[in-house]
Amino acid sequence: MIVAENVEKRFGDALVLKRVNLRVEPGEVVTILGASGSGKSTLIRCINGLEALTGGRITVDGHDVSTKAGLVAARRASATVFQLFNLYPHMTALGNITLAPIEVLKLPKAEAEARARALLDKVGLGAQADAYPQQLSGGQRQRVGICRALAMQPRYLLLDEVTSALDPEMTGDVLRILAELAADGTTMVFVTHEIEFARHISSRIVFLEQGELIVDLPTAAFFAEDGGLAVPRIRQFLSKMKKD
Amino acid sequence: MRYADFTPYDIVLLLQGLGVTLALFIGTTLIGLTIGLLLAVVHHYRVPGCRPVIVLVTEALKNSPVLVQLFLVFFGIPAFLHIRMTPVEAATLTISLNTAAFAFVVFRSGIESVDRDQIEAAEVFGLGRSQILRLVIAPQAAAFSVGPLVGILVNQLQVTSLISVIGVFDLTKIGNILNLRTLQPFIVWAVIGLIYYLAAKTLAHAGGRIEAALRRSVKWGGI
Ligand SMILES: Nc1ncnc2c1ncn2[C@@H]1O[C@H](COP(=O)(O)OP(=O)(O)OP(=O)(O)O)[C@@H](O)[C@H]1O
Ligand SMILES: [Mg+2]
Repeated sequence: MIVAENVEKRFGDALVLKRVNLRVEPGEVVTILGASGSGKSTLIRCINGLEALTGGRITVDGHDVSTKAGLVAARRASATVFQLFNLYPHMTALGNITLAPIEVLKLPKAEAEARARALLDKVGLGAQADAYPQQLSGGQRQRVGICRALAMQPRYLLLDEVTSALDPEMTGDVLRILAELAADGTTMVFVTHEIEFARHISSRIVFLEQGELIVDLPTAAFFAEDGGLAVPRIRQFLSKMKKD
Repeated sequence: MRYADFTPYDIVLLLQGLGVTLALFIGTTLIGLTIGLLLAVVHHYRVPGCRPVIVLVTEALKNSPVLVQLFLVFFGIPAFLHIRMTPVEAATLTISLNTAAFAFVVFRSGIESVDRDQIEAAEVFGLGRSQILRLVIAPQAAAFSVGPLVGILVNQLQVTSLISVIGVFDLTKIGNILNLRTLQPFIVWAVIGLIYYLAAKTLAHAGGRIEAALRRSVKWGGI
């Protein structure tokens, strides 16, 4: 379980996360919605330890990310897929996927590669195992990014706008893979602007407004007239997203 | 035959001078690159208190005349510390440190040229600092550094000619000797210059080949 309690994050004078509380149980798909600058990426970066909290506490399966040992254990339990892929350009798709399994999980190379190839096959990139990121399209790179995360066999997948750098066709490819993962019971924390997709795969939706988590509802309730839509800010946000 | 004429033995002298120059160049290059790399790694790790010292020292080495550094090491340090230093020791020390200063700057830029994004990805996947340095940063930094390093080394090869001033029998010193004996400065210095030129060209060519080989083996087009 991922638990965020009264999480606060300050950048200098700017208070970017204000007393955020969030729980993600195994098997859930939780989508974080919110306007640009509302703190969605920051929250993800606090969970995976890329930003240090300035207040509150985050634990992943009980491991406190603010402690050194806790962070190591928390990072073993989760894996992140990035908006701009963040692949290692000097390594092939296979190299990107096997690096952490070999170096961190200490898997034998052959086993790590066999697993990586199976993952690549699953996302339709079986033939691209030896291609470098430069030789792949954006959608292909992001699929490699997803394989890289899955190769760690994480209990939690953290995804920050993983399709927003892709054109619509490639977005479809990536979303299809994520939908399969969700159907398989993968636990995900998902930041996206793809409202319809979020509605389709999420078990819960939370809404960040200027660093405050103002709504946390099961998906159906979030989109219900007497639920999320009763909150003016959310109604406004959703109608604006529909227009775009 | 007058004493002042050129003799076949002069070719042996020239080769000896070239040997000394090359040996000193290769030795100081190996020491200099090693120290430069170590400094860049220490700088990268932000070892407390080390950054300003490294930057100050390398800036001083890069921005003062090598001849002055050579005098400081050969005359100044022995006088100050009451130790003896041979010309070869002083030359090796000075040129090594000088090369290290320039190499440090190149290695540091190489390390800093690697995207923060990738390093964050590696951190999140649980890689430690030394694993990230070795597996993610180093290969990219190396590819970035080869070109500038070759340029620096070609320059340092010329700089070694300064050590003749403190009495090392390098190629330039041999030129001096031949010049004094034959009183044919035009011929002597043209030949010496040509030898330096050929050595530099060979070095640049070898560097170019290494870079091309790296480019071939590293297909990501990062250079
Ligand atoms: N490293 C940083 N230093 C200073 N301010 C930062 C830093 N990172 C984020 N911020 C600020 O924190 C706020 C939240 O940023 P964040 O990236 O979390 O928003 P977001 O919800 O992910 O937005 P988007 O939808 O555009 O990705 C913004 O005002 C941003 O300017
Ligand atoms: Mg963001």
